[in-house]
Formats: sequence, C-alpha cells, structure tokens
Amino acid sequence: MSDARAGTDERDYEAFGELRTLIVGEERDQLASIRIRLDDQAQRQRDVGEVLPAVLLEHAADPRFTRALTPPVERAITASVRNNPGPLADALFPVMGPAIRKAVAAALSSMVDGLNRTLEHSLSWRSLVWRVEALRTGKSFGEVMLLHTLVFRVEQVFLIDRTTGLLLHHVTEGPGEVRDADLISGMLTAIRDFVKDSFSVTDGDSLEGLRVGELSVWIEQGPRAIIAAVVRGAAPRTYRTTLQAALERIHLELADDLAQFKGDTSAFEAARPALDACLHTEFASTAKPNHRTLWLLLSAAALLLALWAGFAFRASSRWNHYVDALRAEPGIVVVSSGRRFGKYAISGLRDPLARDPNALLAESSLAPTDVVATWEPYYAASPSLAVVRARHVLQPPQGVTLDLKDGVLSASGPASVTWLAEASRVAPLIPGVAAFDATLSTDAAVRDAVARLTALAPLFAKGKAILAPGQDDVLRQFVALVGQLDTAAAAVRQRFRLDIIGHTDADGAPEANLPLSRARAATVRAAVQAVASERLEIVDAGVGSDDPAVRSDREADKQRNRRVTVRVTPLGGVATVKAARP
Amino acid sequence: MIQKKICMLGSFAVGKTSLVSRYVTSIFSDKYLSTVGVKVDKKTITVAEEEVTLVLWDLYGEDGFQTVQKSYLRGAAGYLLVVDGTRFETFAAARELQKMAAQVAGDVPFVLALNKADLAAEWQVDERALFEVADAGWRIVRTSAKTGLGVEEAFERVTRAMLEQQT
Repeated sequence: MSDARAGTDERDYEAFGELRTLIVGEERDQLASIRIRLDDQAQRQRDVGEVLPAVLLEHAADPRFTRALTPPVERAITASVRNNPGPLADALFPVMGPAIRKAVAAALSSMVDGLNRTLEHSLSWRSLVWRVEALRTGKSFGEVMLLHTLVFRVEQVFLIDRTTGLLLHHVTEGPGEVRDADLISGMLTAIRDFVKDSFSVTDGDSLEGLRVGELSVWIEQGPRAIIAAVVRGAAPRTYRTTLQAALERIHLELADDLAQFKGDTSAFEAARPALDACLHTEFASTAKPNHRTLWLLLSAAALLLALWAGFAFRASSRWNHYVDALRAEPGIVVVSSGRRFGKYAISGLRDPLARDPNALLAESSLAPTDVVATWEPYYAASPSLAVVRARHVLQPPQGVTLDLKDGVLSASGPASVTWLAEASRVAPLIPGVAAFDATLSTDAAVRDAVARLTALAPLFAKGKAILAPGQDDVLRQFVALVGQLDTAAAAVRQRFRLDIIGHTDADGAPEANLPLSRARAATVRAAVQAVASERLEIVDAGVGSDDPAVRSDREADKQRNRRVTVRVTPLGGVATVKAARP
Repeated sequence: MIQKKICMLGSFAVGKTSLVSRYVTSIFSDKYLSTVGVKVDKKTITVAEEEVTLVLWDLYGEDGFQTVQKSYLRGAAGYLLVVDGTRFETFAAARELQKMAAQVAGDVPFVLALNKADLAAEWQVDERALFEVADAGWRIVRTSAKTGLGVEEAFERVTRAMLEQQT
C-alpha cells in the first residue's frame, strides 16, 4: 500500500516537474543566469562600466549628479594633489598661464581706465567744480569724480536666508561705506516682512526694491534665499536678470546647505563667485564714439582744411606776385604790405608817371575789393621814369631822342637852337636829371645855323655901302640867323667868332674897292651887333674884289660879287658843351 | 561662524529695548521700533567653546499683540520673553505671547526674563505663578536692565539651549 502510494507520488512529482519545466522552465533558466550574473562581482563591474558613461552623459544636467559627484571629485583632487601635485600641475599648466594673464590684463585695464578717467577729469573746468565739492563734502577727489561719472555701480550684494533673515554671505565693491552687514540683512528682512504684512500683498509677491536718492536696493527672492543688491545710480532693467541668474545658480549649487541651514554660514563661501558676478560698475565715459562717423567728420574737416589752405595759398601766392610786381615797377615804392581785417593792405609811394597799380592788380587776378591800397605821390629818380618825365617836360621836337645815363640826359637829333636853349635851362631841374648833354643836337643846330648863315650874302648897291634894293629882308634874315647862332652858343656855352667880310665887284680900283668892302662889312656888323652877345666875337673886314663869288663881266654876276659874307669859327676849340644843374 | 536669530518678546514697557541696549551697542535708532516695529542688533558671544553671533530682533511690544509681528518671529532660533516683575499683567501677556511664538517659530528654546528685579518692593509676580511655568519647562532668569543683573545670563542660557537643540 505504502509502496504503491510512494510510486504514485513519485510519478506525480515527475509529472509536476515536467509540467513546471514546460510552464516556467525558460524563466527558471533566465533567473538562474541572472543570479549567477548578480553574484559575479567582476561581471557586475563590467555591466556598470558599460552603462555608466551613457548615464552620466544623459544626466549631465541633473543637479543631483553634480551634487553627488562633487564631493568625491573634490576629495580625489585633494588626495591627488597631496600625493603628487605634479600631474595636476601639468594638467592645469596650459590653462593657468592664460588665466593669470587674463586676470593681470583685467586688473591693468581697470587700473588704466581709472587712470584715464582721473587724467581726463583732472584739468577740466568740471574737475575744478568737483574739487570744490570734494573740499566741501570732505570726500576725496577720486570719490567725487567717480560719483559723477558713474552710470551705476553695484556696491554690495547680500545673500540672505529667507526664513531667518540671517546673512549667508556678503560681497562688496568700491569705496562705499559698509555698515554691519548682519544687521542690514536683518533689517532688510524685517522691512520686507513689514511691507508684506502691512499691505496684504498676494502670496508670492514681495518687496522688490527700495530707493533712497541715488541709492537703490534691488531684491530678488528665491525659494530659500534672497539676494539684495545695493546699487548706486541707475542700473538697467536687465540687471535683474543677472540677480535672478545668480540666485538660481546658488539654489542649484547650495540646495542642501540652504535646506539644512541652522545658522552655520561657512558653507556659503561657495556662493561668492555667483555674488561677485552681480557686482558691476558702469561709467558714463566708457562709451566710445562712433569711429566711422568720427573718421568721416575728420576727413571732411581735413578736406575743407586742404581746400581752405589751397585757396589761401593761391591767394597768398597771387598777392606776393602782385607785391613783387609793384616792387619791380619803376616809380613805385612799397612801404608796407600784409593782411589787415581780413583784407590785403598795401601802402607806399608812387610816381605819377609810374604804372597804375590797379592795372597790375587786374593782371594779378586778385579781387579789387580784397585789396586796400594807399599811395602817396613822389618823384622817382629812376632813369626810365626820369626820361619819361624829361620827355613830358621838354617836349622834344620830332626826330630828337632823349636818353638818360648816370643822371645825364642826352638829346640827339635835329633840334632848334631855341629848344636846345630852353632844354638846357629846364632839364637840370627835372627830378632824376643831374645834367643835360645836348652835344649831338647842338652841333646839328650850330651847323644848321652856320650853314644857313654862311649861305646868306646880303648884296649891296654898286659902289656904295648900302644894301641893294630888295636886300633888306636878306639882312633881316641874316641878323636873325646870327641871333639863332648866339642862342645856340648860349645853349652849348660856346663862343664863336664871326668874321663879317665885305666884298666888291672887280670894277674900280682896288684901292677904292677895299675900303668899300670894309664899309659894307661894317654896315652888316652894325646890323647884327644888336642881336649878338659876348658869346659871338664879331669882326668885320673887307677883301675888296679878291674873293668874288663869280668871275664874270656880266652885270648880274658883278651884282652877286657886291656882297657881305660871314665865316663862323668856334673859339677855344671845345667841341662838346654840357649844361649842368645850377 | 554660527548665527542665531533671537527675538525679544514682551508687553509694552517691560524693558526689552533696555535689556538689548544693556547687552549690545546698537547702530540703529530706537525709532525703528515705533515705525517698522522691530530693531535688529547683534552680539557675538562664546558659549560652550562655540562662537555664536546672536542677531537680536527687538520687537515692538503692545498690549494687543499685532499681527505684523508674527512674521518677525519666523525663523527665530530662540526668544526671550520679557516680563515686568512690577506689573503682573505683563506676565499673563507673556504666557499668551509664548503660545503665539510656539505657533510661529515652532518648538524653539526661550527664556523668561523677569525684568526690573531691582524694584523688589514693587514686585507683583509671585512665586506660585513662576513655579507653574517652571514646571512647564520654562527657563527663568531675573534681570535688571538698570543694574545689569542677569542680562548676560539670560542671553547665554537661551543660546546654550539653542546650540543643544541644534545638536
């Protein structure tokens, strides 16, 4: 019985085993495999190693990972540095250099900016006002300057625990006065609560800021902490975004510390970078001008300057040429020239016979309205003008040429003795003429007078010392020519000898003819004596019939021999005579 | 550095501000009390070899406790209940204040400062009343802002209690 039962149980068990194998056999195998895998530490390490990089990459932005990894990483780095700082120093070396340079450059830039501002404002009128203000208020000049050039500056940033109002961290910038930050933190919290409770504001709303004069306090509230920034000046609206970003960063990085805050603030030193990022200063003078516009303006100014310089140079050049031309012009003496009241001014002396300055001005292309000229009259001694003046005064006859050399005015060409005499008297009085040389003209005049005089022979009646009929005019002409010769002699200061010689025809005895010829000469001499001066030495003589005009027995020819002739001889042998200024 | 917020509670004219003035040198004027309703001061002390900065919120006291002051209690790590020993009604008010503070700030340490201890002849708060609250676990210190009696002790005791509670 019992054996049979045992056999039945065994079969049932086997059947059950088969059934179990059929139903969950595969799962059992899988479970066994998983169990083996879980019990195998090496396998587990391999499994984690396979998924860990992917998990880290996928959840890199998850703050929990950051929090979880930060302590071991920090400890690992600390341990590494303690054990052997070499590898970390080698790894950081490429970034430390640029970082240090960047920090030094930023510090230098800040220093240079400050120096620039100080220099920019150190010598201006505005700086004087600021210095007075500095003396009045007892502040330093730099502080006063900073306040006036500042657009805004965030002087202090408080990180405050929202529940207790305790100060978690505090950063400052600039020279502003910093009172006890703990107390300010508490009072700020109290004021926030006061406002919120007093005015029944909506949940979630809170005091966002305070303003007193140029100071304002910007308050940004987070779930566990508050940031309060003390701002001097007018910060832009976008600055609130900066505060929000900093607050979010602090809540992210210090979430646990904020949640578990019991009064220990040491952990919040880690909030300094985020708070420092909220400290910001902006100066009014930092705005740089638009260089393109500046260059355009400078270029336009340079172009205008160049044009102005060009026109000015051209006008100056024309003016210089005009002045030079005036200086070169005979009869014009430039005493002064230059610019006066925006116009060209020139003054000097001008000979009335000199060229008209206005004519020269017209040639110079200068505008007559731009030139103010003052000319005083004078007589120039220059040869060219003196000749013109002499010609103007002496009015020489046609054919007579005047020339001036070394102060001596020379006249050449045929001129009347009368003109020569007048010219000899007047010429030395002409400015620029020291002496008058009429040699050439005088010779001609004398020769002319002598020729005409010697060509005349007044005829006399037969056997008498009286003029033949119709010879009165000849004698008058003879006398006039003697007068002209006398004048010419005066002009040239030359003495002449006039030998008045009487002649007869061949009729009659020579003893009778000789006295008759002398008488005829005396008659003529008596006639010319009235017009002759001491410059003419008159001598009368008779030659009878020894020197007949013609040898002929015809009565007409005999009449031609009954005559008086004259021979003119210069005395002293001086051929050239000059008239000089008395 | 450990900081703790401590509130000064009590009826009008019990001597809260005088106690604080005896204890710290304030930078804020007392007029904050009558305007904002609170004045914040600070005192750094060393208790049990621990340096602690006490941020004292001196709350303006009136007989009818104002709602505005409740928010000032938020986050307090402890408080001083100040009673004028010469006016019993201030003791009764203190019991009400303690209930309200416990609601707002939670179960945080506090010390009952029986102020004006120098005026023993005018004393009105009897021992029986004190035994009652002492039995309830209240810490009691007799103080005199005038003589300085018990002032430092009151603050030290509440600070020590706060540190103990923290640990």
